[in-house]
Amino acid sequence: MEFRMIGAAAAVAALMTLSPLVGHADDTLRLAWDEDWGGAESLDPISPNRHYMINDIIYSRLMREDDHGEPIPELATAWSASDDAMEWTIDLRDGVTFHDGTSFDAADVVYTFDRIMDPAIDSPVASVLQIIDHVEIIDDDMVKIVLSSPHADLPLLLLDYRIRMIPEGSGDTIAETGIGSGPFMLESFDPQGTSRLIAFPDYWEGAPKLAAVEVYSIPDSDARIQALLAGQIDMAGASFQQARLFQGNDAFVVQVYPAGSWQAIVFRTDTPPFDDPRVRKAIRIAADRQAFIDLVLGEGNGEIACDNPVWKGDPYRADIDCAQDIEGAKALLAEAGYPDGIAFDVYTSNLESEMVPIAEVYQQQVAPAGIKVNVVMAPADGYWSDVWMVESASITSWSERPADQILNEAYRSTSSWNETYYNNPDFDALLDRARSELDPAKRAELYGDAQRMLFEDGGSFIPYNMNGLRVVSSELTNIPGDHNDNWIRWELVTKDGATN
Amino acid sequence: MVRLIIQRILSSAITLALLTVFVFFAVELLPGDTCTAYLGRDAKGDRLEICRENMGLNDPALKRFATWASGALVGDFGVSPYRNKPVSEIVGWRMRNTIVLALSASLFGIPLAIFFGIIAGIRRDKPVDMVLSSTSILAMTVPEFVSATLLILVFSISLGWTSGVVTAPADAPIGVLLGSTILPTVALALVFAAHILRMVRSSVIDVMESEYVAMARLKGLPFRWILLRHVLPNSLLPAINVIGLTVAWLLGGVVVIESVFNFPGLGRLSVDAVADRDLPLTQCIVLILATGYIVTNLLTDLASLLLNPRLRTFRG
Repeated sequence: MEFRMIGAAAAVAALMTLSPLVGHADDTLRLAWDEDWGGAESLDPISPNRHYMINDIIYSRLMREDDHGEPIPELATAWSASDDAMEWTIDLRDGVTFHDGTSFDAADVVYTFDRIMDPAIDSPVASVLQIIDHVEIIDDDMVKIVLSSPHADLPLLLLDYRIRMIPEGSGDTIAETGIGSGPFMLESFDPQGTSRLIAFPDYWEGAPKLAAVEVYSIPDSDARIQALLAGQIDMAGASFQQARLFQGNDAFVVQVYPAGSWQAIVFRTDTPPFDDPRVRKAIRIAADRQAFIDLVLGEGNGEIACDNPVWKGDPYRADIDCAQDIEGAKALLAEAGYPDGIAFDVYTSNLESEMVPIAEVYQQQVAPAGIKVNVVMAPADGYWSDVWMVESASITSWSERPADQILNEAYRSTSSWNETYYNNPDFDALLDRARSELDPAKRAELYGDAQRMLFEDGGSFIPYNMNGLRVVSSELTNIPGDHNDNWIRWELVTKDGATN
Repeated sequence: MVRLIIQRILSSAITLALLTVFVFFAVELLPGDTCTAYLGRDAKGDRLEICRENMGLNDPALKRFATWASGALVGDFGVSPYRNKPVSEIVGWRMRNTIVLALSASLFGIPLAIFFGIIAGIRRDKPVDMVLSSTSILAMTVPEFVSATLLILVFSISLGWTSGVVTAPADAPIGVLLGSTILPTVALALVFAAHILRMVRSSVIDVMESEYVAMARLKGLPFRWILLRHVLPNSLLPAINVIGLTVAWLLGGVVVIESVFNFPGLGRLSVDAVADRDLPLTQCIVLILATGYIVTNLLTDLASLLLNPRLRTFRG
């Protein structure tokens, strides 16, 4: 009896193996989701636990970025500011339909913005739009955004990946329905299992080339790599160590692209000894930044940053020279009253794989300048609430943000994420002036000054911007190799790049 | 006999109760809580306070434990604050999947282990035994995540015979699930089959050297008869306890295997639940796994009792 059962089970198993298990259709793109939120993922674009992978495919923004990070039309076709940069008029695209068949117009835009700014929803996106006073309808294809303080680069803020247009009145259901105007529409949503998106034939830029996108939940990063190797998914992000597995394998393309995420050691500028700008500068210039890239990330996997939170791909990035200067550091320390060197604790945690190596490399790098760093390990759990912005020196980590957003979010004295407790009225004033300056060249100058001010006076030691890396099956076409996933035009992707 | 069973069930219940107390306060002692895990960098100021208030984390630990325990007693495991879903709903399908995995690994591994264990035992120190014994030692010592990765590399990536990681959702029909469960089953079976094989082998060797087998040989019984009537019943008896223990071990071993193969079961879920400080979910999973462990042990003890009359008079 028992034997017969085993026999039956084995037969079933054998049959299942013979017939292809996964719908290996060549018109389905298969992606893996890392289950960031353990099943609590939401399709609401402004939810703190948004499913950013699916959202990028099913929703549209008003603008998207070009190769240089400048805004170009998506659902908006044109935009212009009043002379004082207090009011922005935005022309909307005609003939765009949502997945439920309704057409996109000004009322949807106003609704989307009102919802983001609704204090009852308490979305993290609200802080990005703080300077918006209100949005009004001019006619069906035009809206006016009225600001409470001038901002000449409002379109850059509107590039935020979370500001995606949803149909008027859909706020209560959007988290499940996912009705947007993107190239694919939701067929089924299971953040811990398989979600399926199908081509939206009425997409305004033309029907997608592929029939469907399937998103499988694979939380473990090594399991994702194995699924990729086994041909169960078509592309995945990878670490630089994992990417070595694909070297010399014709079935895959490894893409390394410059990206804006960065990690840093933050020193609280309100706490001794870091309240002295000379100390802050000394402990930053004593380090050789290239060494951080080579030792922490691996050669070629990052770009040098000079304590500059604005990344290379941003139009407002300032060029700063930050070569290692041990003697300069010693002199500054002596001037600040520490002729025999200085000692302090740096808190870190293994929350992200680079966080401990950064602290250790820093410890070695600055020792010759008489700076004695004691690395303190803190638990990863509760790190953001108990250590970061609490201890006087700790490691931080940020994802890519446009210049105006990151400078305001991380350094303006009134920001809740002002992690260095930086309180410099000149710096705040500089940001205000940049926002209201309508001449792009002058504006770039002002944002540049703000970045140089941070290098002279700021409290964060930012050694690098990290490159991004993804491995793509060579069957896929139209995956831009030099940008992150937000640049992918999903409707153009095909699977006939290589014959199988 | 009946008294013994009742005794065992009672002590099992006490063990479970103590376990939940232990797990609750162990998770409580870890730094961070559900809200800091949920909010990440936003775990500051008002947001943190509101979250703690909403999730009821501001009540004293004892009170929260009491609330949870009184619910669990009547089968209500509460709502996962992190996932905002009833725990029973999250656990349901995954429990089925883990049972499917454990069962298929047992059905595949145990008969195989017993069969090869006997062969190794009766062919002691012959080449067959050498191969089997060293293979089993290898299988025992190589960690699951290594053997699992190797299996994927060989059978899925190089040979392409079967899918590597499981992409089926937790609520997939059992046929679909079984199809992609072959490699996890083998990986899981490898480790515990090796234990059983070695146990069976040494007890076969013991029995083969016993006086009653020598007597049977001298009587001139055919080898087949000696094997079936004397060696098998007497050597499998001690193996039953080992089988029981290893099946119980399966329930823990699935944690690693499920993670590597992305298998939608309780093991993978338990890792996430602890990382997310999802207490109600963690508690529920621990209860399920512990119950499985205890029940398996109870059953193997009973099986030994039935098969071995000498134990029945034993008063524990």
